[in-house]
Parts: sequence; structure tokens; C-alpha cells
Amino acid sequence: MELKSLTNLLSLATRPKPQVGSTPADVVWEENKWKLLHYRPRAEGTKYQTPLLLVPSLINRHYVLDLMPGKSFAESMVQRGFDVFCIDWGTPGDEDRFVTFDDVVDRWLGRAIRVASKMVPHEKVHLLGYCMGGTLTAIHGAVHPERIASMITLAAPIRFNDGSLLSRWTNVKGFDVDVLVDTLGTVPWQLLQSAFHMLRPTLTLSKAVSLLDRAWNDEFLDGFLALETWGNDNVSLPGEFYRRYIKALYQEDGLLAGRFSLAGQRVDLKHITFPTLAVSFEHDNIVPGPSAGVLIEAIGSQVKQHLHLPGGHVGAVVSKHAAKTLWPQLEAFYAAHDAPPKTAEPVVDRAVMEAVAQVLPLREVRAPEATTPKAQHPEVREPRDAASMRVDAGTTKAAPGPLREVRAPETKAPNGPKGAEAAKSKLGELRAAPQAAARDGAAPPKTKPSPPRVAGTGSRTAPKAAVVKRLPAKKPAGKPSPRLAR
Amino acid sequence: MIWETWKKGFDTWEQKTAEMMESVLKSPAVLQPMGSMLTATMKMKSATDKAIANWWELMGLPTRRDQERTLHALNQLQSRLIDLEEKLSDLEAKKKN
Repeated sequence: MELKSLTNLLSLATRPKPQVGSTPADVVWEENKWKLLHYRPRAEGTKYQTPLLLVPSLINRHYVLDLMPGKSFAESMVQRGFDVFCIDWGTPGDEDRFVTFDDVVDRWLGRAIRVASKMVPHEKVHLLGYCMGGTLTAIHGAVHPERIASMITLAAPIRFNDGSLLSRWTNVKGFDVDVLVDTLGTVPWQLLQSAFHMLRPTLTLSKAVSLLDRAWNDEFLDGFLALETWGNDNVSLPGEFYRRYIKALYQEDGLLAGRFSLAGQRVDLKHITFPTLAVSFEHDNIVPGPSAGVLIEAIGSQVKQHLHLPGGHVGAVVSKHAAKTLWPQLEAFYAAHDAPPKTAEPVVDRAVMEAVAQVLPLREVRAPEATTPKAQHPEVREPRDAASMRVDAGTTKAAPGPLREVRAPETKAPNGPKGAEAAKSKLGELRAAPQAAARDGAAPPKTKPSPPRVAGTGSRTAPKAAVVKRLPAKKPAGKPSPRLAR
Repeated sequence: MIWETWKKGFDTWEQKTAEMMESVLKSPAVLQPMGSMLTATMKMKSATDKAIANWWELMGLPTRRDQERTLHALNQLQSRLIDLEEKLSDLEAKKKN
């Protein structure tokens, strides 16, 4: 065991980088820097009628929910029969300093929900918000509950004035968020990461000891490196978003008090009437349990539940232990609030579906590669296992874009005559989309659309072998694109 | 055996140190100067940036902020066009139904 540990530690630098975010997914929507990913359904088709939309935090990368095979929440939910979508918030540029809280929560999150929900006849989705993503989903859900079937918030802060370190730091005299935002514009990830690091300065040392202790275990090592890759792959925050987040939520604690507004509408958590589950963790030093659990008391749902579990902010969500304990509970919650199964077999307008397949570009998402090491990012206190520990790792590169796939627009087509109409109306919306490839400098088209879904099968099925379409490098002359810079 | 004993000791030390650090980092006596220092640094940077931008503007060149505003305006236009497309397609769908 000692020899194995030594060999593993010595070869750590040359060890292959863990494949993070490797569950196959397609980009079904792209706007500014954010993308909506659609994980490819399992081969035997989906089991549940309502799609699941994952909303991660803006500070970290989305692939914490798709860490690596065997430790991927997204992969697990796909295998359990869900149609899973995930928002990748992307990396804000300098110009995104002006992106507001309303832009993100009202416009972008709303769009993601609409795109995902239009894939099914009942036009509703299950939401899962993790960390800050949970706060965003709760705020959005209170203002726009129409398309939400149910919601789970994982370690999502709702009460911000909770006496935790983050709460004290943001409320300290002398800290002027306006000066910070006005000066820096986009708030750099280094500043955010150092704040997280200061939450438990000894964590780095603790992780190093844990690494020495369990270096003989290859599985531990892979998980450890994957989590560290993610933990050190932070994202800067749009300045205006950060200003509002800190002032209205952390400093004024306006969400619970009903003083917060979204796009001019007051956010009243009592308006959340869909089934809701709030999950909090015992050793979470970022979002203390009571700050997350208070959501349940504040909402107006008849069906609501608070789950308080042992573990840290990350380890309890992404680990082998979580796969055995937490994830089945989440599945059970969603299953209990799934839409009733279809009774009659839908009739799909083949012509419409083929037309949609011709124009809808889907880009394959490739696993991000770990690159330059950055700095430490503490999030986890207990337990000190593979999932709860992080080491220095690297940033991820965006997936290269020129290759786009074309297949039936959704693995689950809108059903029945209404569905055909919906597809027709969507057609207009999507018609200009292939031109998006022009920006990526893609090659001329060689199209072979995948077959549309045909009546006769009871459930949705996974797309067949992907057909790669190279899109034109230039827009067709005389046909202006209704979308800019897509 | 030696390792296990050492590790137990380390864990205890780490726990105690983390608790101590937390109490230090919660103390206003530490936080206020840190907050003020950060704000002062930001103000200094802001003044420097402003001076550079003014000098740049004198030469008739677009500043960094001008470029950011323009790019943001383009992104906003894109988003609003998509909003309109969505509304239009919803209206069309309703009309057909």
C-alpha cells in the first residue's frame, strides 16, 4: 500500500487529467455567454414525462453536477430516465459588467425554463438549483411559477443575514461594494476565490494530508483531482449582478422580508406553490443549514419538505456517498411530482419535424480540459473523503465550436396536433439559427438530418448515431438574420 | 501506527486552528481595516483608470468603457430580439389554435 501511495504521488504531475463534464450533451440554446445543455437521453428512452433543468451557481462551473463518470448527478439522472437540461452560465467578458440580476434571473433563466419546458406537451419542468443557483430559482419561481412542476434547492442561501463569515464580510463597515464594482467592472474570480479560501484557511493543509493518507487509492485520487479541477475553475461575476446580489440580498437580506424585486415585480416567496424540497448540509460553512432550510417556512406550497443531511457544501452533493443516499431521494421527489403519463400516442407532423431538424443546429459539448493551475478554493469541511477534498488543478477550455450536429430538435417531440403547431411556430424561431455557425467559421453544409420522432413508440428515445453538419461559413446573402451575434 | 497517531493529532490541530481563525476573521477589529483597505485600493485604482481614460479620450480614441458599453448594447439587442421572436411565435401559435 505504501509503495502504491508513493508511486501515485510521484506520478501525480503526469497522471492523466480527469475527464470532467463528460456526459454527452448538446447545446440547444445559446445567448450572450450562457448556453443551455441538453444531456442525451438514455438509449431505452426517458421514463419520466417532465424534463429536469439544473441551475448551477454563477461563481463556479456547471460541471460540478456532471463531475465525472460515476460521480455525475446529471449522468445519474439521465440513467434513471430523466430528460436533463443544464445551464452553463459561461465566462463573462469585460462588457458583461453591465449584466444585471434581472438579466440573469428574469430573462436568461426564464428563457432556459421556456426552452426546456416547450419540449413537452404540458410545458413544465422540474428545477434543481444548487448553491446560488438555488437562490436564483427560488426568486424566479416566486415571480414566474407557471412553468415549474417542482423545485429542489441544494444548499441555497435564502436568509443571508445569518452570522456566517460571508454574511459578516459583506456587512462590514468599510467594505463599499459600489466602489468595488465601479472600479473592477466584472468582479474577478481571484477575489471571490480568495474569499472562499479564507472561510477555512487550514483546508489546503487538511486536503494535502488527506491526499497523502489515501494516495494508494486510484479511485480516490481521480475523484480528488476532478473535484479540485472544478474547485479551481472559478468564474468572474458580472459587476451589476454582484452589486445587487450583495446589497439587496447579503446586506439588506431583502428576500425573506419581501423587499426584493425582480424586473419590477416584488418577490413574494409565498407565491411559490409548487412542490418544493430544500436540502441543507450539516457541515456547510458557505451556506449554513438554517439559511437554506428557511425557504420551506417562507413558501406557500402545500407540498414542501426540508432535508438536512450530514456533509459539506460540495462533498454531500457530489460523491459516491451522495450517489447512494441523496440522489435517490431527489429522484423520488421528482418522480412523485412527475406529470401523468401520456394516454394516447401522439401524432407528429413529420413534415414539420423534418423541417425543424433541417434548421436546428446543435453543438456537441465536449468535456472541458483541465489546463493551468490557479489557486485553492475551500468549500468542504467534512467528511474528508475524495469528494470533499480539493487540490489545485486548472481551468477549463470552452468546447470548440465549428462542428454542429443536426438531429430531430428534441428527443421528445411536441405531441399531438397542438405539438405539431408548437413545432411549426418554433420553426420560425429557429430558422435563422444555423447562421450562428458563421461566427464560428464553420465549413459549408453537408446535411443529413436525423429522423424525427414517429408515432408508435410509447416513450422518447435517444437520438441515433449523430449526424454532423458543417454549417456555412457565411450567412446567405440577402437573408438578414433576426439574431445578432449568435 | 505512527501515521495514524500523527493524523489524529493533525486533525485536532486543524479543527482548533480553523475555529480560532474563524473567530479572528469574524472580529470587527480585523474586518473593518481589511474592508477599508480594499475600498481604499479600489479608489486608488479607479483614480488611475480615470486618468488613463481621460488621456486616451484626448486623443479621440474610444476608451475601454466605451467598448464595453457598445458590446453590451449589442448583447442587449440580441436578447431583446430573441424576446420579440418568442412573443411573436407564441402569438402565432395562439392564432393558429
